[in-house]
Amino acid sequence: MEKKGRELSDTVWTRLDRKAGAIVELTIRQLSHRISTWVVLGVGVLLMALLMTFYIDGVRESFEPIDNDGDSEDYDGDGYPLGQERKYGTPDWDPQVYPGSSQFVYENEIDWNDRERSHYDNKSWDGFAFFEMVWVDSNYSGEWWDWHVTWNIDDDTGVPQLEDCSDWDLEQLTDRIWGEACDFGDLDGNGLTTYFVGGKWRGEGLAVVPENYYLQWGYWTEEVYIEPEPREMYVDEDGIDCFTDSSQNRSELTRVDCPAETRLSGSHGFDDDGDCMMFLNGDDSNNNNVPCDAAWYSVNGVVTDIDADDLVDEDPDEQEYIGELGHRTFVIAVGKMAFVILLGLFIPLFLALGLVRDETENGTLHLLLSKPIHRAEFIVYRLMGYLAISATYVLALSLLVGTVASILGPGDGIIRLTDLPVWLGIGITTALVLAAYGSIFNAMGLISPKYGVYICIIFGVWEFMMGSLSIVNPNWTVASVSISHWALQMIDAIVLLAWPDTIQWAAMDQAFGFDSGLSSFWQPPVHTLGTQSASIALISSSFVLVSVTLAWIFIGKSVFSRREIM
Amino acid sequence: MEAAFGAGDGDDEATAVVSKGQASLGQIFEQKYRPWEGKLGPRWMRNYAIYRHHVYGIFTSKGHRQYHPMVRLMILVIFLASLTPIPMLFLSSLTGDGGGFLEKMWGINRYNLWGQILGYFPRNLCMWPLLTAIVVGGMISDDRQNGTSAIYFSRPISRIDYTAMKFLSVAVILAFVIIFSYFAYYTSAIVFRAEGWAFLADTLPMFLGGILAGLALVFTYTSIGLALSSISQSRFFAAIGFLSIIYGTKLVSLLVELQFETTFLYAISPYDCLAHLGQFALGLPPNYDHPLSFSVVSLISMNVVSIWILVNRVTSLEVTRE
Amino acid sequence: MTLESEEPPAVVIEGVSKWYGQVIGLNDLSLAIDGGVTGVLGPNGAGKSTLFKLMMGRIRPSQGSVRLFGIDPWSSTAPYRRVGYVSESEKLYEWMTALDFITTLARLHGMTREEATERSSHVLDFVGLSDVMHKELGKFSKGMRQRVKIAHALVHDPDLIILDEPLHGCDPLARTSIMSVIRELGKQGKTILVSSHILEEIERITEQIVILHNGRLLAIGNLHAIRGLLDKHPHRILINCENPRALAELFVSRQPVFGVRFPSEGQLEIQTNNLSEAHSILPSLVVESKQRISSIENPDDNLDSLLNYLVKEAS
Repeated sequence: MEKKGRELSDTVWTRLDRKAGAIVELTIRQLSHRISTWVVLGVGVLLMALLMTFYIDGVRESFEPIDNDGDSEDYDGDGYPLGQERKYGTPDWDPQVYPGSSQFVYENEIDWNDRERSHYDNKSWDGFAFFEMVWVDSNYSGEWWDWHVTWNIDDDTGVPQLEDCSDWDLEQLTDRIWGEACDFGDLDGNGLTTYFVGGKWRGEGLAVVPENYYLQWGYWTEEVYIEPEPREMYVDEDGIDCFTDSSQNRSELTRVDCPAETRLSGSHGFDDDGDCMMFLNGDDSNNNNVPCDAAWYSVNGVVTDIDADDLVDEDPDEQEYIGELGHRTFVIAVGKMAFVILLGLFIPLFLALGLVRDETENGTLHLLLSKPIHRAEFIVYRLMGYLAISATYVLALSLLVGTVASILGPGDGIIRLTDLPVWLGIGITTALVLAAYGSIFNAMGLISPKYGVYICIIFGVWEFMMGSLSIVNPNWTVASVSISHWALQMIDAIVLLAWPDTIQWAAMDQAFGFDSGLSSFWQPPVHTLGTQSASIALISSSFVLVSVTLAWIFIGKSVFSRREIM
Repeated sequence: MEAAFGAGDGDDEATAVVSKGQASLGQIFEQKYRPWEGKLGPRWMRNYAIYRHHVYGIFTSKGHRQYHPMVRLMILVIFLASLTPIPMLFLSSLTGDGGGFLEKMWGINRYNLWGQILGYFPRNLCMWPLLTAIVVGGMISDDRQNGTSAIYFSRPISRIDYTAMKFLSVAVILAFVIIFSYFAYYTSAIVFRAEGWAFLADTLPMFLGGILAGLALVFTYTSIGLALSSISQSRFFAAIGFLSIIYGTKLVSLLVELQFETTFLYAISPYDCLAHLGQFALGLPPNYDHPLSFSVVSLISMNVVSIWILVNRVTSLEVTRE
Repeated sequence: MTLESEEPPAVVIEGVSKWYGQVIGLNDLSLAIDGGVTGVLGPNGAGKSTLFKLMMGRIRPSQGSVRLFGIDPWSSTAPYRRVGYVSESEKLYEWMTALDFITTLARLHGMTREEATERSSHVLDFVGLSDVMHKELGKFSKGMRQRVKIAHALVHDPDLIILDEPLHGCDPLARTSIMSVIRELGKQGKTILVSSHILEEIERITEQIVILHNGRLLAIGNLHAIRGLLDKHPHRILINCENPRALAELFVSRQPVFGVRFPSEGQLEIQTNNLSEAHSILPSLVVESKQRISSIENPDDNLDSLLNYLVKEAS
């Protein structure tokens, strides 16, 4: 009577519950009695500890300011950095020309088709002319790349010793004479020799320019001393600028922080160091008809692309940006490589393959199967037991690593709260991966006790390969025939949901050359069913992972319940 | 039913005497034990027998070590895959594209010789580690599981010899695939392109450098794999352990390199140490910022630790069926 | 009582055959067992384990049907609530204590942890292992392991208990205690199936036997009744005594005895075709001979000879 009463009070569910509890507990105890379990889990902890030491080492040193545009370099060795030379309009490849060095001042010219073709003066000349010389400067030099005329003046007489070319025609002259002069003789008999000159020279005399040729003249300014600026001035001198008003009317009042929550689009950017404006009318290589700006594009309020004109915002402060970018890259890289690929793949290989198979091999299976428990239930409970250890482990590990990294990471607060959802997401993704691989390896062990092990090893190599390739290029379709691809996809989506401005950071990383690796570790999720929505990518990836798990549990169950156990 | 075996000098006289009807009433067979007076073969011959047993098993399972059919299939597939440059060279010589695409991709040069042994994709990503893992997996753990180590250790064979022969046979199987394919690649390049002595003189030093790197790879993979096989209970654990060591260290040091811009962690990755050494041996500019001595010291210590574990473990092995 | 009669019998096997590829494990076996201790006898390979595995739903019959309490054990796990199974496999979870082990398995019947622990210590006590129940199974001897396995089969108070070679490999002491456990269970009115290939063991537990040979059912019923059926076949009685020849003279003249032999010094073999009659006259003749008899054996009472006769009978 009493027994009957108890049976009635026990619903089917409480009994199921108890059986599940017993097998889960048995599995956990079994796994915890194997050294390999502890070795695997211990190695995982060591791995994270190793990465954390690198991370701690990385954040301890502040980020070295990098001269992204290279304008702090003094390429020509004249003591002035490139930025300063740009400011003064002097070339960075001519040690003779530098800020304050004497400069040529243009005065006038005889053009190709000017009617008046002669001019008398004491000037610096540049071009072709028949020059009736009064005086020339034999030591004239200016910019070194130019063709300065070699006069070859005799030290004693002060007369140039040059080739006689009085019988050459004009074509011959212009062909052969450049950077030199030749003796044309005293044409008008006034005692002054006329020379045909091509190139640059300084002197006094009458210059007659042949038809269709050109000559300009002017003078050189006095050299003034300009203090060379320190190189540090040209590091981080052109930060990223954004404005609330995307018209060209930019002032300090409309300036905003770019990576803030404000989603930006339109024309931004300010050429703080003025090197873009040095171009004639400014550079407009992004073709938005605004010279020297950075065009920000956003879709649905998310910055998806940044296209800057040359030399605009090109040298931002690393301390301000790399810290954040590097931190995010670290989180994503650890999540993808260490958690999903390494822990996600190797924990199931060590722990899940033998879940049912080992029982068969050890001959202890009959103990469990002579109980009123269905074989399908048995598989599910075994997997639950394995997940109870492995999923708890990865979740705890991800939250632990996440908490440490969030406390150490950049930012004003004590802890970066927005990081925690990402770490939780990494943990959950890894747990889903563990479930998927667990059910696959378990099913393979059931399908073929003899070959399953080898198939699992080969499958593991395939997954590792596809995972590595999916990080590099998530768009590669072949890789979507792998669990790791979808899991990585899921992390991409979680990252985007927790940090919606990651696309903007990636765009900034690429546009302004931070080289932080964010764009190589993270790309916007691919499987969004055409919506570009991270939530849909998250749902579709987790759906794939869960359905793979269920499908393989079902396959394993079908095989196992038909299996005759000898 | 009872049966007894006559104890004679050798197998030639071994006859089974099966009891007759009255034997159930009790009968005692006379047992004669005489000392064995045959001559023990020399040590190398006994060792050679162990070696042969393991290596021949790859080709025929009759009377030799049983390799799982999957293992034999995988060895064949990997061996054929490692020979792919040869048909490409043949094609290149057939189409006569001198200095063309095929020649550049598969012809003999420092990079291709290095890549034939040490290239990451696909050779060191899927082929060599998988090959090592499946060959080495059950080498020692199978003997323990099946109790066959007891058969070895009850014979005049020292445990060191047993270990050394296991090591040698694994190394020979790996070398057969890895170094033989390299050798075949080099010689076929010479044959297909009808190269002369001058080419040989030019390329032989780098070829030998590649052989050296290949031997280092075979030795290191074998010692790590056998050490794992000696400490594990099942062949599967050893195989997975090997793969996780090779892949795990590589991936972690890659992560650290990309994130923190330092390559010295590659010293923990056996593959990268070998690749570094190979780049030196073939005269290539190294991909790594840390000095070569890091990698060499790390390689030596990996091998020393593995062999120490292996020897220690085998000499202290209890010869029971586990 | 009416309720019980309506209940389907514990084991019903109808026309069951099982092939393992080319090999026949069981050949057209029909059997019904309900109540009491039944010994399943047969040499190795006779099909005992196949029969038990079929009953436990671990393999599927190639032909015919198996029913435990009216339910097919292959497709449903329902009958296992009322079945306890002791398999021939020696493997247990070596790292568990006996109590832990039984408790864990008991919980698979849907018991709570407390219920399971209570039941487990109870059954461990029943099989006489209460003093070692907190020891790890890895340290248990063979006999103790067998008793642990029996305990695990009893923990949910089953109506049918199947024991596959429970005495195999045990020392005499362990045998005795296991046998007494089985007899005790039989007295509790449970249906018990015990397999063995040694007749003597079964004889000490039960008289109700099933004999399997080469996958066929050779005989079913009371052991002695079966033997009695075989009376037309010659039986031997082996007597160890001081003067066999003197004793032989007394026997040769008697009815059921048709021959005597002297296999060895101090031994007399009597050949008879009616064993029970021969046994009934034996005491008086012994007394008459005034000799000291050291032993009387029935060498044909072993399974081998029984089988030999049965097989000849069948053919």
